[in-house]
Amino acid sequence: MKKLLAAILTLAMALSLAACGGGNGGGQGGEGTGDGSGAGNTELNIFMWSDYMSDSLVANFEKEFGVKVNISYMNDNADSITKLTAGAGDGYDLIMTCDAYMESLIAGGYLEPLDLSQIPNSKNINQAYWSEENQGYCVPYLMNYIYVVYDTERCPIEITCYNDLINPALKGEIGSIDGARNLFPIALVALGYDPNSREESEIAEAYEWLVKYNENVAAYGSTETNMVNGTISVMFTYDGNTAEAMSAMGDNNTLVVAPFTSDPVQLGFDLYVIPKGAKHMDLAYKFLNYICDAQVMADNLVENPYSCPNDAAVAVASEDYRNAPAFNFGYKTNVFFQEDVGDAIAIYDKYFQMLKVG
Amino acid sequence: MSGPSALRKKRHSRLPALAQAGPVSVWMILFVTLPLLFIIYISFMTRGTFGGVVYEFSSASYETLLDATYFKVILKSFQVAVLTTVTCLLVGYPFAYYIARKPADVAARLIMLLMIPMWTSSLMRLNAWMLLFQTNGPVNNALMALGLVHSPVKFIYTDGLVLLGLITNFLPFAVLPMYSSIEKLQGNLLEASADLGARPAVTFFKVTLPLTFPGIFSAIILTFIPALGTYTITDMLGGGKVLYIGNIIKNQFGTIRNWPLGAALSVLLLLITALLIFIYSRFAKIEDMEVL
Repeated sequence: MKKLLAAILTLAMALSLAACGGGNGGGQGGEGTGDGSGAGNTELNIFMWSDYMSDSLVANFEKEFGVKVNISYMNDNADSITKLTAGAGDGYDLIMTCDAYMESLIAGGYLEPLDLSQIPNSKNINQAYWSEENQGYCVPYLMNYIYVVYDTERCPIEITCYNDLINPALKGEIGSIDGARNLFPIALVALGYDPNSREESEIAEAYEWLVKYNENVAAYGSTETNMVNGTISVMFTYDGNTAEAMSAMGDNNTLVVAPFTSDPVQLGFDLYVIPKGAKHMDLAYKFLNYICDAQVMADNLVENPYSCPNDAAVAVASEDYRNAPAFNFGYKTNVFFQEDVGDAIAIYDKYFQMLKVG
Repeated sequence: MSGPSALRKKRHSRLPALAQAGPVSVWMILFVTLPLLFIIYISFMTRGTFGGVVYEFSSASYETLLDATYFKVILKSFQVAVLTTVTCLLVGYPFAYYIARKPADVAARLIMLLMIPMWTSSLMRLNAWMLLFQTNGPVNNALMALGLVHSPVKFIYTDGLVLLGLITNFLPFAVLPMYSSIEKLQGNLLEASADLGARPAVTFFKVTLPLTFPGIFSAIILTFIPALGTYTITDMLGGGKVLYIGNIIKNQFGTIRNWPLGAALSVLLLLITALLIFIYSRFAKIEDMEVL
């Protein structure tokens, strides 16, 4: 009996060890569900990325409208999808998500339709960045280009298209962001296909292209750090990361946004939606209108220097922001968007897994 | 009349056992057994369109596991875990032996030295490794200053650095159980062996090694199992280029959002672990397992 007990306990301990090592991924990250119930109409509950909105913006909004804003943070785009599809209206009034999910979210009926007459400042937003289907359901916040940047002094070749990235001369020189839906589109564009293809044969070809790309990649993630410390000389990354790397290099900046001649680059949006059944709709509208104000957004850009779809805000933004080379490049409108690919996501996952397993 | 009093007596005798084992049992049931059962449960469920779990029975996740891709990942994870474990044993055993033969106060101090790095978070230690070995980091600067190399060596994001990270992370867990086993080894057994004419090498292989085997096996379990499932070390030091089973599981619950598949992979990892424990129980009495 004692032996049996010992065996069971040892097993339980060993299993928990194994679980620590590998299986504890199911966490949802920063929870802190702002419970709006009973708080009347004076609390606004927001779910969004951390370090993505200036504290003073929030504090000023609270002061001006005499309300309290509760913000909880996501770790992954998937977090907000989990919340929205589980019915987030009880806990949140505004949720940040990205354009790639909008089609499914609208179709699934997870969002409250927006009445834009309650958000008069939304006229500041460039219509080119705000598709007609999305206008009724979301307000774009900030946006990010995913493009190629290289160091003119250390990079062995000049890069003008995606196919240059699989040049063997770049072996071990590239730092790259990760994720199937960031990597496959560039391969598809390089091969002349739709960046949001749902065809398995095309995705399979893109996989072959990415195998060559993978050979040249030194590391996925931490692109700006690796660029600044000299580990890599080319990066496929977000414009925000580029701005950081460029400012870290200061006067010795030798980084340039690759002068692409015809390949389009990916443009993504972070946007706010109101989950179905949100408890504080009018406050949510007030907040959305507040962040669309030109001066409010311009001030916010000081701490969060990312590409901004709010033209009026960009016009009054600081000179530093307007002249930052990371945001000024010649082909800003030659872009493609990440679209919902429906069930084809399973095909992407499969080939992405294969790519990573090697 | 005797009934209730006998019952009371029985309840009395149960109380100490309940007080001793109760809290641990509740803890284990709530935080180990139940989550484990839930993992097994969702591994048989279906993936939803948005990546959630749809509670309909499906064996699709286990069918996916038969794919050659996963076999390759598991094989690769095994290779790296075996390499880590073997290195930890080869480095750790002599060190454990050395500590065990020192007077108690010196031994305590040596063990303290071994444990000090564990006082910081493992993420801190990993970041320190990255800073040390990065392209314009201190190690490269020193090599260049000494004229040993002319251009910076790429240490970072190589398999070598991943292995180094794994070994330094798990070495203390290998040394401690082996130390505790070796420390219990009675000197007169070694003397007897020598008196009977065995050379030191023979004594080591015929007496010392078999008697300290429980410690060695504990060391294997304590390094091999976590090394098999680790993902932070391989992620950070390996640059996310090569994925091991731990990374694959993490991705299923994160970016790829296929919880049932992630759960099935976890179950597979648990089965491998259980198999290891089973093998151990064949070799040695499980009560002897040295876990400090």
